[in-house]
Amino acid sequence: MSDHDEHHHPSAWGPHDWTHGAPHNSWSPLIMSMGFGIFLFMLAEAFTNGVFNAGYVPLVFVGLFVSLVGLIIWWRQDMSFDGTYEPMATGAPFKNIQIRKVAIWVFLMSEMMVFTSLFSTYIRYRTGIENCQTVFERGDWMQQGYTLETGEALICFEPASHLIASSMWHIAPGAINTFALIISSFTIVQALRWAKKPFGTIDEEVRRKRVFRYLGSTWILAIIFLILKMTEWFIGFYVPEIEILGIHEHHIHSLYAEGYLINADHYHHHDWVDEATGATMLADISVSASTFYVTTGTHGVHVAGGIIGLTYMTFKAWTGGYTPKNAVSIEYFGLYWHFVDLVWVLVFPFFYLY
Amino acid sequence: MAHYKILGKDPYWMNFYGLMILTLIEVAAVGMDLTETAANIGYTEKELTLFILVAIGLPKFIMIAAIFMHLWGDEDSKILTLTALFPSFFIIVMILFIGLTHPEATTGLPEWCRPGFYT
Repeated sequence: MSDHDEHHHPSAWGPHDWTHGAPHNSWSPLIMSMGFGIFLFMLAEAFTNGVFNAGYVPLVFVGLFVSLVGLIIWWRQDMSFDGTYEPMATGAPFKNIQIRKVAIWVFLMSEMMVFTSLFSTYIRYRTGIENCQTVFERGDWMQQGYTLETGEALICFEPASHLIASSMWHIAPGAINTFALIISSFTIVQALRWAKKPFGTIDEEVRRKRVFRYLGSTWILAIIFLILKMTEWFIGFYVPEIEILGIHEHHIHSLYAEGYLINADHYHHHDWVDEATGATMLADISVSASTFYVTTGTHGVHVAGGIIGLTYMTFKAWTGGYTPKNAVSIEYFGLYWHFVDLVWVLVFPFFYLY
Repeated sequence: MAHYKILGKDPYWMNFYGLMILTLIEVAAVGMDLTETAANIGYTEKELTLFILVAIGLPKFIMIAAIFMHLWGDEDSKILTLTALFPSFFIIVMILFIGLTHPEATTGLPEWCRPGFYT
């Protein structure tokens, strides 16, 4: 093979020479898909029927490792991307629009379907199963024997908002997360704006710093989002005594500590006590808890995926890798990130507030 | 990038301010006691809160899609908006025929619609 041919067929594993077109011979998408496949199948096997099987854990990590290898190959190839080669669609209806932009929109279409199926499931169960609080207030659960004493649980819908929207302190992590995502949508647009400023209008060092800072801020806000979500789900937090504001010392329990679990088939809210008899209502809320955790968890996974992408992009920005020629890469990631924000705009009111 | 202004100002900043204000209203609507207001107009507090949340959520959704995601005001906005709206048909089908089916649909449907009717 001549030097010329070698130049046209760069390594499928290493950095790419973009002056000769897109790396069609890249192995990274295939490797990542295989890795995710192994990871998801093994994770499902590790928790089959709610029973944890530790034997599959090493294979879960094998899946993660394979995905990571694919990611590293992909990143090595993209690091050299300076916007030299940006393929454009040639046919109707997307003529003269970047193929990558069309592709990300097609991907977002499939994402819309994923979240719509989760939302329609939620609406179906929310309207189809009686609300636990309504059942408690009606009072006939005692005659039917759905009490802590009998151990019989009534299937009803207990929205997570019953716990989360019970006070401003409880709602604080979700509310802060809403603001964090909106601010992060704004910071990524600012990163794009600074990356796109034409050559010669700003100093290149200023461009590098601004793009790095805005992408870095987006990364930090995404991390805050996940930390607060974990706080809300598993950790809870302490509120100190602030006499001047009339705030009393108390502890905000996590959903986990409240017993609001994905498989909570013997749940009782601390308010579900009949004053006259002292009986406590017992409920099977696994359907409502599942819809909450699966929907908000799927959204959380999208945020986590965004953090992985942002980590790379922030690093590339730090090296001065973004210029007006390849700034569209930030725009395409931004489309995904805005979509994640968009989904939260619906998740927050329906799952956290209502 | 946006080639227009909102009220003579940068569209991204204006969108950002708008989203922050709407979110504050959203959180306040849940925090406030609306029982009396709801009763005055013949609704329960939960129904009124849901109405406020949907009424605020929709413009927020449109603001993010139109301005941050450039589905408005760019050369390719029209075709990309149509692309984004393509799954709407399936979304409507899912919401209507799964999300909003009658709670007793599985037992109340005619026999020929229910599982097990194969003859």
